Amino acid sequence: MAGDAGVVRFDGVSKRYATPARGEVWALRAFDLLCPAGQLTCVLGPSGCGKTTLLRLAAGLEPPTRGRITIDGRPVDGPAPGVGLVSQEGGLLPWRRVIDDVALGLEIRGVGRAERRTEARRAIRRVHLPPEVEAALPHELSGGMRQRVALARALCTGPRILLMDEPFASVDEPTRHRLQDELVRLWEADGQTILFVTHSVEEAVTLADRLVVMTFSQAVADLPVTLPRPRDRLAPDFVDMLLRVRQTFEAEAADAPPPG
Amino acid sequence: MKLKRILSRLALGAVPPILLLVIWYVASVGSVVVPSIGSVLEVLAHPFREPPALDATSLASGAAVSVLRVVCGFGLAAATAVPVGILVGRSRTAMAMLSPTMSAAMVISPIAWIPVAIIAFGLSSPATALFGDEAWRYGLLDRVRFAIVAVIWLGAFFPIALNAAAGARGVRDSHIEAARVLGAGRRQVLAKIILPGAAPAIMTGLRVGGGIAWRVIIAAEIFPGTRSGLGYMIATAHEQASYQYAFASIIVIGAIGLGLDGLLRLAARRVSRWQPKER
Repeated sequence: MAGDAGVVRFDGVSKRYATPARGEVWALRAFDLLCPAGQLTCVLGPSGCGKTTLLRLAAGLEPPTRGRITIDGRPVDGPAPGVGLVSQEGGLLPWRRVIDDVALGLEIRGVGRAERRTEARRAIRRVHLPPEVEAALPHELSGGMRQRVALARALCTGPRILLMDEPFASVDEPTRHRLQDELVRLWEADGQTILFVTHSVEEAVTLADRLVVMTFSQAVADLPVTLPRPRDRLAPDFVDMLLRVRQTFEAEAADAPPPG
Repeated sequence: MKLKRILSRLALGAVPPILLLVIWYVASVGSVVVPSIGSVLEVLAHPFREPPALDATSLASGAAVSVLRVVCGFGLAAATAVPVGILVGRSRTAMAMLSPTMSAAMVISPIAWIPVAIIAFGLSSPATALFGDEAWRYGLLDRVRFAIVAVIWLGAFFPIALNAAAGARGVRDSHIEAARVLGAGRRQVLAKIILPGAAPAIMTGLRVGGGIAWRVIIAAEIFPGTRSGLGYMIATAHEQASYQYAFASIIVIGAIGLGLDGLLRLAARRVSRWQPKER
């Protein structure tokens, strides 16, 4: 699955957008971040702080206005092999059956139908989806199932880096907890580098090895999370960490300049 | 239960044709203009018989020529309008360049183009282009006049292109980006994302375009220089007051149109089955 490599680096990255309503807006300003191989880094920030932009740049979907992003030392100038992206709404293709959607990456690479279906079935099993969903269309699935399918699709090509944009934000709390636990289990088995953005402090503390707090366009705190795994969300040290991160987050958000 | 529902739907659908038949029957009694139902059925029962009092080919031959012309014009329209529509739907430059012209051309009746098409193409056909003076030997090919095909193409092109453009524009960026991150290049994005995503709208355009093509052919065949097809048969029957042939042609036009729309509707249902039904 994931190899040894998987280092993501942002060096002085800025991104400016021209918007009709607000003119020029800086979504990122001189952003620096090094994600070592195999680390699960959570970027925590309020809505509109530039988290999604960060992932879009890392995925090669857009170029930065300034600065440089590298993956394993190579500049990112477009979508790179070995990088998977899971977005908040999943991005599942509504006309594809689950098994074909999960196998999309392999189909794009030219893998034969039988082989890619075998791999897709394996990925579907890994995210704990029942075999019956293979023939389902996305609109026939629950929100949680759709996110599992999106995760399976990203995992199916064996990425060494996973970029995750608030993938569990739209599901109910028990499902979100289950999905978080399963993500950690998969990450522990595969060892990918994961860059996970969220606005939920609890989610960040549950998942992260390291937690980067962002306010508008900038990283303002970088905290290691050394809690043992599996993490108990009711354990005193978890709650203590949660409160400390929340204090930092709220203090930084209060001091932050307005966006743009 | 299901059978009962189907039968009840069929029965409801049969009401207007039965009413029409009754009106037709009443109107034909003692009339020299409205043909009797029996005389029209007689024509329909012998589709390969050359009309004795009419300077026209048989009903079946006329229908075959009309269908062939529609297949050529509509096929050409589909082959050109879908790529143009997708280009307009996905490229701002193409949209700025072509969209106003397409919207303006859309509202011009295809019939208005007939004189222009006749000036541009005259009586030429694939047979005259390929075989010159020997064209008359290739009967069916000689009857597919470029002018008629061009008019059908013009009639069907714009609804197909505008629907394809709307469909392509409606494909979500997140779907395209999902494929790009998985390694898809431009061609794969087109084949695996844009075309299937736009397919329901394209099929709507094909259905509308198909209907227009079938309506345009009849008008185009009435114009001078055409000596075959169902439109020609209607015009000739009118001139020679043999209205049973006109009525028989109209029934055949309706039946073929129904079949064409049925096929396109089936295809539309097939490519749209992923869309959840709204209740």
